[in-house]
Amino acid sequence: MASKTNDKILNILLFLCNWGAHAAFLTLQDQRRPIPHEIRMVRVPCAGRIDRAMLLKAFAQGADGVALVGCEPGTCRYGSGSANSLQNTDDVQRILDIMGLGRKRLCFGAFLPEESEELLHFLQNFTDEINALGPAGIEAAPLIPAFETDDLRRELQQLVTHYDIHACQDCGKCTSACPLALIGKPFSPRAIASAVITGGIHSPGVQENVWSCLTCGLCYDRCPSAVNFPAFIKELRHLYRRTALPGQEVHGGFFHSLMRSMSSKAITPKRWTSLPDEIRTDPESPILFFGGCAPYYDIFFSKHIRTQTNRILIDSLRLLNFFDVAPRLLSDERCCGHDLLWSGDRKNFLRLARINVERLNGLGIETVITTCPECYMTLHTTYADEGLEPKFKVVHLYDFLEEQLEKGAVDFEPFDQVITFQDSCRLGRLEGKVDLPRKLLKRLQPARFVEMKEAAGASICCGNCAWTGCDGYSKALQVKRLEQAHATGSDLLVTSCPKCQLHLTCAMEDPFRREQLEIELMDLTSIIAQTIRWKG
Amino acid sequence: MTIAILKYIVPAVTIDPPFAFEQTYIMSQPAQQSQIEIIVTGFGGQGIILAGRILGMAASLGDKKESTLVQAYGPESRGGACNAQVIISGSAIHYPYVSTPDILIAMSQAGYDKFVVSLTEDSVLLIDEDLVRPERAPCDCFAIPATRMAENLGNKMMANIIMLGFCTAITGAVSNRAAESTIADSVPKGTAERNIEAFAKGFDYGLSTLKGRKKLAAGQVGALAL
Repeated sequence: MASKTNDKILNILLFLCNWGAHAAFLTLQDQRRPIPHEIRMVRVPCAGRIDRAMLLKAFAQGADGVALVGCEPGTCRYGSGSANSLQNTDDVQRILDIMGLGRKRLCFGAFLPEESEELLHFLQNFTDEINALGPAGIEAAPLIPAFETDDLRRELQQLVTHYDIHACQDCGKCTSACPLALIGKPFSPRAIASAVITGGIHSPGVQENVWSCLTCGLCYDRCPSAVNFPAFIKELRHLYRRTALPGQEVHGGFFHSLMRSMSSKAITPKRWTSLPDEIRTDPESPILFFGGCAPYYDIFFSKHIRTQTNRILIDSLRLLNFFDVAPRLLSDERCCGHDLLWSGDRKNFLRLARINVERLNGLGIETVITTCPECYMTLHTTYADEGLEPKFKVVHLYDFLEEQLEKGAVDFEPFDQVITFQDSCRLGRLEGKVDLPRKLLKRLQPARFVEMKEAAGASICCGNCAWTGCDGYSKALQVKRLEQAHATGSDLLVTSCPKCQLHLTCAMEDPFRREQLEIELMDLTSIIAQTIRWKG
Repeated sequence: MTIAILKYIVPAVTIDPPFAFEQTYIMSQPAQQSQIEIIVTGFGGQGIILAGRILGMAASLGDKKESTLVQAYGPESRGGACNAQVIISGSAIHYPYVSTPDILIAMSQAGYDKFVVSLTEDSVLLIDEDLVRPERAPCDCFAIPATRMAENLGNKMMANIIMLGFCTAITGAVSNRAAESTIADSVPKGTAERNIEAFAKGFDYGLSTLKGRKKLAAGQVGALAL
């Protein structure tokens, strides 16, 4: 019965609900019915508890197909399991479409205990379909061999030397600036530094701190010895991964699975499939617009919050068109890898970065324009730092806009809102472009532009980075930021990073304080696109 | 009508036939094609005369055309309304004063008010939008915040050069290259680079303005499809 593709039996993972469907599966086993060999069954308490992260992780770990089998709506023992399963399946199917794996590799089925033959039929059909599609092509994340103690000590020593940790004067300026410490979290950058010097990186407090660091760079900004703390944390996380210590990935590691999958060459994403008709692109242009992960975010977060980060990409394209640039788009655009690198997975980051650089170099792309601060930093700075050789120039959309606006004959329609601005840590502190968004903001014609208490170089973070270590303190930090925004008397909070938008929107969901916290959020790119006008 | 009469009366006048012929020939062409008449006006001290001078020199030395400059002398050049009259022509110029300018560059309200009456429907008006309110203009008006832009560049003395860049882009009265090289030779020593930069700013603004007009005419106002 086992069908073979390239002499390799495909992996089909079956998440099977303990209640109705499992009884049917047992009947099949008891009667020795021909369950396809490809099927590997995992018995779960409720199919509704198999969240989207787990579904995607199955693919990231090498599954070629995933079947989620639960109970008919109305027969769920817990009430909402079937509805959850359907919603989760639908979301992940949409993500699989964009990733290029295709929605057919994931399916949901619901069976009563007596429907064993129907279940068999379903499994055989699905197996045939997956065999017809062939392997998904994602290479499972390689197991990392644990470190020898001596190696670890040597690595730590190298880290200390490279980042000149001994230069730390233990003055505490970092802690007194750190947004996490200020919100009350037991967190101290200098304590991490001391722990690394003394080799005590495995104490639970230090581990937790390393994973929850925002890497926002405020401490680096204040450090009198200029210890590059964000980069140091990045390296420490790599070290933790290699000592097989678990990270603290949030959202079940959904985004990490997504990015890890992208580092496999066999994957060919299908991006930009539903652009508005009026957007002009040019498949031959040497100018490429690099979108980033926004479409994935919109699907993933639509379950909880109303986000429209994909709109930022559409508005960017509109602005490029406005200035007569019809950019090239990569239908197989992958992730830039920022979050892989910053959550300690350098191996897969490098795999992904190499694919990206080879692809863009190979196409003869001269300029890459992007609006996402993380994509910008990663493509512009990190790739070269990590030893890759991109032959293209990376330009932030704001730089492009400022250059065009400087030429003049364009103005902005006034709008009757007071605005304030949330800096992106990547664009502002880490890439040193604090003034750039402000130049653009000053061209706009709002009722007023008021800076928050902590703004520009001293701006505090949106509360999370690289999808790791989000906790109650992160929420408190976001709430503090929203309160600062309200204190300016603004009714529109302008952001420049899709993640700032996601995180601050999430904080507004606080059920007790929703009304005090709610404020309209909009990306700077979208505001510009909405109000820009040709002047005759 | 005028032309017909001239043609009719020319043979009656006893002058050299070739000259008479040339005269008739020039007069029968639309003024814009063979001859461009420009008035630059503003306050004394804005560099109005220099701007006129650069226009004329660029046309004659750079573009190898004929040009004349008549500049306002006297108290005007110490702060009052002042003007420079430039004629650029493909052939010899016989009379250097401008009565109906094809191009009026106005950098002060007083200057504008003085010359607005001489404009025709086909003239082109260029103004500094922060200094001139173009009331009763009978013709197309292009505006640029030249003085503000010059201040942003660090020296408001360069407003005239920005205006020259703008004029070059909008009217094409002189070529870009001729204007740039004339500016480099005419401005005070050591400031050539910054003046060329100022010229480029004005030039870009002009191109952008033309583009904006084209877009507006095509119904594209903003970035969103409305």
